[in-house]
Amino acid sequence: MINRRHFLTTVAVGTASAAALAACGAGSSSSGETGTAEKPVTINYTWWGNDDRAERTRKAIALFESKNPDIKVNGNFTDFAGYWQKRATEAAGGGLPDVMQWDLSYLRDYGQRNQLLDLGTVKINTDAFEKSLLPSGQIKGKTYGIPTSTNAFAVYYDPAKLASLGIAEPDGSWTYKEFNDFLTEVGTKSNSALFGSTDYTGVWWMFNIWLRQNNIEAFTEDGKLGFTKDDMKKWWNTTAGLRGTPAIVSEERVTQLAPKSPFGSNVTATEVTWDNFMAGYLGDSGAKELKLVPVPSDDPDNLGLFLKPSMLMVASAKTKYKDAAARFIDFMVNDPEVGQIFKTSRGVPASKTQRDGTTFEGTDKLVVDYEKSIEQYLKDAPEPPIVGFGTLEASFKRVSSDLNYGKLTIDGAADAWFKEAEDLIKQNA
Amino acid sequence: MTTMATPTQSTPDAQVPHYNPKSESAAAKRAKSTIFHVVALALTAVVLYPGLWMIASSFKPNAEIGGANTSLWSNNFSFDNFVTAMEGIGGVSTLQFFTNSLILAIGAVVGTILSASVSAYAFARIKFPGRSIFFGMMIATLLLPFHVVIIPQYIVFQQLGLVDTYVPLLIGKFLAADAFFVFLMVQFMRNLPGELDEAARIDGAGHVRIFTSIMLPLMKPALISTSIFSFIWSWNDFLGPLLYLNTPDKYPLPLALRLFVDQTQSSDYGAMIAMSVLALLPVLIFFLVFQRYIVEGVSTQGLKG
Repeated sequence: MINRRHFLTTVAVGTASAAALAACGAGSSSSGETGTAEKPVTINYTWWGNDDRAERTRKAIALFESKNPDIKVNGNFTDFAGYWQKRATEAAGGGLPDVMQWDLSYLRDYGQRNQLLDLGTVKINTDAFEKSLLPSGQIKGKTYGIPTSTNAFAVYYDPAKLASLGIAEPDGSWTYKEFNDFLTEVGTKSNSALFGSTDYTGVWWMFNIWLRQNNIEAFTEDGKLGFTKDDMKKWWNTTAGLRGTPAIVSEERVTQLAPKSPFGSNVTATEVTWDNFMAGYLGDSGAKELKLVPVPSDDPDNLGLFLKPSMLMVASAKTKYKDAAARFIDFMVNDPEVGQIFKTSRGVPASKTQRDGTTFEGTDKLVVDYEKSIEQYLKDAPEPPIVGFGTLEASFKRVSSDLNYGKLTIDGAADAWFKEAEDLIKQNA
Repeated sequence: MTTMATPTQSTPDAQVPHYNPKSESAAAKRAKSTIFHVVALALTAVVLYPGLWMIASSFKPNAEIGGANTSLWSNNFSFDNFVTAMEGIGGVSTLQFFTNSLILAIGAVVGTILSASVSAYAFARIKFPGRSIFFGMMIATLLLPFHVVIIPQYIVFQQLGLVDTYVPLLIGKFLAADAFFVFLMVQFMRNLPGELDEAARIDGAGHVRIFTSIMLPLMKPALISTSIFSFIWSWNDFLGPLLYLNTPDKYPLPLALRLFVDQTQSSDYGAMIAMSVLALLPVLIFFLVFQRYIVEGVSTQGLKG
């Protein structure tokens, strides 16, 4: 039993020393330790993703090491869900890896808690980036993340399915009414064998785009809600006439099909979501070809669209090798050869240098062309979402699915979501 | 437990039970037994269906798994998923993941058996000051949720430089930190007759001799059930390896399985399911081999005195 007592003492000592280390961590040198070709420094880089990404990243790391013999990169990866559990533990234990692939929804959380390095203090070239994109990696004037790549919202459709129903392919200039009519046409012409779409009003980002189309901001600068309950009710009323008709697939069916999406399961003809889901949909559905058009808008000059960083590169605030970390991030976001390795598997490359140095073919080209086609409509990227945004997004989805189940009225749904959102914002204030 | 023979000697089927002899005819009995078996089989089918689904799906192409596909068998039967699964992930072979899982599982079994049995002997057979307090404390750790200790533990191992080794995952097993197994063995040992120890002591045996020559052989059933549970728990453990291992070369199977499914890119459900089938095999074999001993052990428990 001495073991257990000893163990408890070790825990106490460990916690205390971690706190002590954290306290003196701020005083380290500005560029960190550097290596030489004979005695290289090793930085840890971690990412989430599947086998395909692991293979591509390995190639990129090998290329980086051959160009920078004074730095070795030790690459590790896990799946997306496990990735955040692991980061949370490491952050609490003071052991975040030097360089990490990052997701926009976690940026504010870790940035505010000073876990991430201010990349404005190190040398990373951002000249080739759209000026409207960079603020999405910044919090209160500090740059915590550099976007590797972008994605944009789009309406996917399967041309083969539309052709078999004798429906003309859409060109993407449509109002909400025209879009709804299109969904109804798919549902009725196919005798409900095929639904138009899932209820797109249940997608948070589509709501966000609709708000932008109406010149309303989703969140104010001080992290409060920028829209009213009436806005939300108006939004959910957009598809009020479609719920329970062949235009929209029922919530029961959506649940049955999970984890696959109705679109990936060939149950719907269209889907409104991010343009980098292309490869996943092609794999799930087995379709030959899928196409992308812009989202509907009642104001043809304001589509409310924007480029969002599909992922970012960040460094740990406690890294001992700031200079090496910065060089690796710069290489991963700017190098044209890295673009050639990843193509669009991380999203469309954000840096123009990297984008121009990459040849896109097939589906990759479709996604890149789509983002080019909407260029004139693009507005500023959103700021890093507020802390707890993930919860809000999930509850938006849940409330709107209850709406589709008929468990809630539109008024009740708006009340339920607002109560949750206000509590959450108060908690994190 | 007593030293008498087990009272549940089964009577041969032909014999009519001696209580209430004329209540049932042979036909009624047969009908009852038929109903019982039909219901039992139906329940078995329901319970085993997910397993069957998994095996059937492992032979299907990825696009036909889940979603709108409701049929169990596919016409496009193929071993492609197994081929993909065996290719490994990100340059690490699947065999490597298996080996890692085996090292962890066997390490856990050996560690738990050695440490838990010794600790249990102390609690059950040696009177030392504060024994009941320590015993209570040990039971109390059972009530402590794992999630509470994650971060302090991580900090300790991080400071000791033991992250990305198997030490954090195995050291607890060798230090009897699994209170459940210690408790299980203590309860088992308390049921063994104390006369056995006394007889051994009269013959001049010390604690070491009593433990190795008397207790360990009698504890076989408890040791075997401990082995089975600790093997399966370690084999299926996801969170521990996720937190403590960084290098993909060191990942065990549960981590590798998750790498086939990535909602942010494309997901290869087929390969994941095929690998799940492969990952299930060792556990199944381990259980089939050792479950015989549990039954055997329980029915002869305490008889050897």
